[in-house]
Amino acid sequence: MGYATSRHIEGLPAPLQRVAGALVDWIPLAIVVVLWDLISGAVVATAILPAPGTVAGKIVELFVTGQVFSHLYISLFRVVVGLGLSIIAGILLGIGMARSDPVENFFDVFLAMTYPIPKTALVPLAILWLGVGTSTAILIVFLACLLPIVLNSYNAAGNVDQNLIWSAEMMGTEGRDVLLKVIFPATIPEILTGIRQAVPIAFVALVSAELIASNQGMGYLILTSGQIGNYPRMFANIVVISAVAFVAVRLFEEVRERWLVWT
Amino acid sequence: MDVTADANPRFDLSSALSLVKSIYSLVIVLVLWEAVAQLGLIHYYFLPPLSDIIMRFVELTLNGQMLYNAYLTLMRAMVGLAIASVFGVLVGVLSAQNDLVDWFFDPIIKIGYPVPIISLIPVFMLWFGIGDISKIIMVAVGTFWPVAINARDSTRQVETKLLWSAKMMGTSDRRLLWRVVMPAAMPGILTGFQIAMPLSLIITFVFEMVAGGGGLGALEIAGVRSFESTQVYAAIIAIMLIGIALDRLLRMARGRLLHWT
Amino acid sequence: MDGRVSISELEKVYGEGAERTKAIEDLTFEVDGGEFASVVGPSGCGKSTLLYLIAGFLDVTSGTISVDGNPIQGPGTDRGVVFQNYALFPWRTVFENVTYGLEEDGVPKEERQSIAQQYIDMVDLSGFEEKYPKELSGGMKQRVALARTLAYEPKILLMDEPFGALDQPLRESLQDQLLDIWGDLEKTVVFITHDVEEAVYLSERVMIMTRHPGTKKTVSEINLDRSGSREEIVTSDAFADYKNTVWKSLHEETQTEVTL
Repeated sequence: MGYATSRHIEGLPAPLQRVAGALVDWIPLAIVVVLWDLISGAVVATAILPAPGTVAGKIVELFVTGQVFSHLYISLFRVVVGLGLSIIAGILLGIGMARSDPVENFFDVFLAMTYPIPKTALVPLAILWLGVGTSTAILIVFLACLLPIVLNSYNAAGNVDQNLIWSAEMMGTEGRDVLLKVIFPATIPEILTGIRQAVPIAFVALVSAELIASNQGMGYLILTSGQIGNYPRMFANIVVISAVAFVAVRLFEEVRERWLVWT
Repeated sequence: MDVTADANPRFDLSSALSLVKSIYSLVIVLVLWEAVAQLGLIHYYFLPPLSDIIMRFVELTLNGQMLYNAYLTLMRAMVGLAIASVFGVLVGVLSAQNDLVDWFFDPIIKIGYPVPIISLIPVFMLWFGIGDISKIIMVAVGTFWPVAINARDSTRQVETKLLWSAKMMGTSDRRLLWRVVMPAAMPGILTGFQIAMPLSLIITFVFEMVAGGGGLGALEIAGVRSFESTQVYAAIIAIMLIGIALDRLLRMARGRLLHWT
Repeated sequence: MDGRVSISELEKVYGEGAERTKAIEDLTFEVDGGEFASVVGPSGCGKSTLLYLIAGFLDVTSGTISVDGNPIQGPGTDRGVVFQNYALFPWRTVFENVTYGLEEDGVPKEERQSIAQQYIDMVDLSGFEEKYPKELSGGMKQRVALARTLAYEPKILLMDEPFGALDQPLRESLQDQLLDIWGDLEKTVVFITHDVEEAVYLSERVMIMTRHPGTKKTVSEINLDRSGSREEIVTSDAFADYKNTVWKSLHEETQTEVTL
């Protein structure tokens, strides 16, 4: 919030401050929702922009009837597996390239070539190979998240303070163990930053794949709701997946805070 | 490794050797590709020989389809990006300078940012149809966020002492924005463009794949539907070339504008 | 003479409510036109704050700061600041940095260029006009900062530990350059430093500030015979005496802080 508003809040007695702070933060959103409500029906047909109340009702309906669960589950499954695989592969590749010249020479050119291609452009190719479904979605998520994680791991592993390595060696750590006990822990903060960047990318990749190449999942639901004209349900699904993406990012940041207590 | 570095070989033995060293793995893969495909080890549908793919690429270029679709995609992405850039920089800079604007836009930015913009494609199809305009607007909305956020953050981070120096030398508050803030924030603002650019292409491709209407995304998915896998690969090559070209262009522009960094 | 700085019962308070801190308390001090005065004090005593108040970057809470009898109103071209971290405009060349103040003043192009060149030569940076700050060393950047501030000819020079980031030999060389320039241009200088030797070497008067919240503790007059070489001055008895006086006064302020 702005400096002026925070000054006013500081003038209030302590218990009220937190409440006032939270309220003020949410007012602009409240304004947007109110505007949304006004426009829907009045300026624009409710078909095109269902009222917030209708959408909210639909969201509840989705959860209460359980319609959404199987699709939500599939989407989350795909994101988690795709992201998980890319984390493992990305860290291995990134650190491997940073600490070993032959490895770097081998993979460098491939990374340089895939860097300018948006991975979602590979969806049709994935359909060619894996058909329509979960494996395609996982593959796209995997490919989309790989590069940020590789880059961050690479940079982190390359910048490990030489003094740390020397200290460990002087205390008896040898060869392979140095990698495990010194380099990997030292790179964790930056790797976590890479993963943090990859999470929203994962959701974009997921929805892209599900819009084009899937018969299940939230992206598919959104598309089909639109196609049959059930617009409130379409908006409801969008809100749900956006909320999930938002929560995923926040959750990850929480985990990162806890884990990085030592930074 | 620097995925963004430019390999500029001068032709003497040591640089020739280092060039070979850096791409040998690619060459091996390409040769294997051609061999495996020609030998029929993998079905033609999945992996056509490189030579066939290149032939198809040439064919599509010659009959104009490649260029036409590339033009459509680029036009949609770049126009949308241009619109987003103007508004994004405006909102971003104003947010950093004016508490009221910031108070209003901050939560919108916070909420809008993590929404996978791609999931709104059906909404845009509903609102604006499946034509060029719809795609352009969607790109504009989708790329607005990184531009605005980077503009705002880099404006906020302009060193106070630079502003003070300008003031002590007679710059009025009004002229500060143009004389000091904008040049100082420029690196961050350009970073916003660098992030927004690939996003503009992603949005365009997916929209084209879902809704059709021409463009490289549509061309690619058409290849799948008509079982012409060479077309799929050819479209991907085109996309890769465009991606590389735009990336180079942007880095060149950045190098010239920010030659002082 | 022009450039007299008068500070009267100055107070500066930050923050509100529970976080209220008083940075400067009841400070009264005068610097004559053309005088070279230093301000020394323990860390956190508010000496930089004092400088920024004189410069007009910060507002006073109470009390007045006047230049030649007129209370100041924000930053102005009569007071020029040289910062410790140079604060050069990175997108402008050395030359363009130095002409900035002249541009703001509406000086026509040819005149701007000859004035700027004059000051660039004065700080021994001839030949570096087209370089960008990123290409310069710390000492060079500081000289550009000095030239930039001098170019639009403010009456008063405010310097915030300008040589703090530089190594000793460089610092000494710049100190001597500064003295030469001051001798030629006869500006008022208010110089912040934590280095007692530097304060005594450069100034005619040294104000020692108390620790937080800062106020004037003592003022020492320095009447050194500066006709000799640097070595002669620094090794003289007079220098040692002044240095001891200032040091002792300063030490009393830091003494109570450090209780390891």
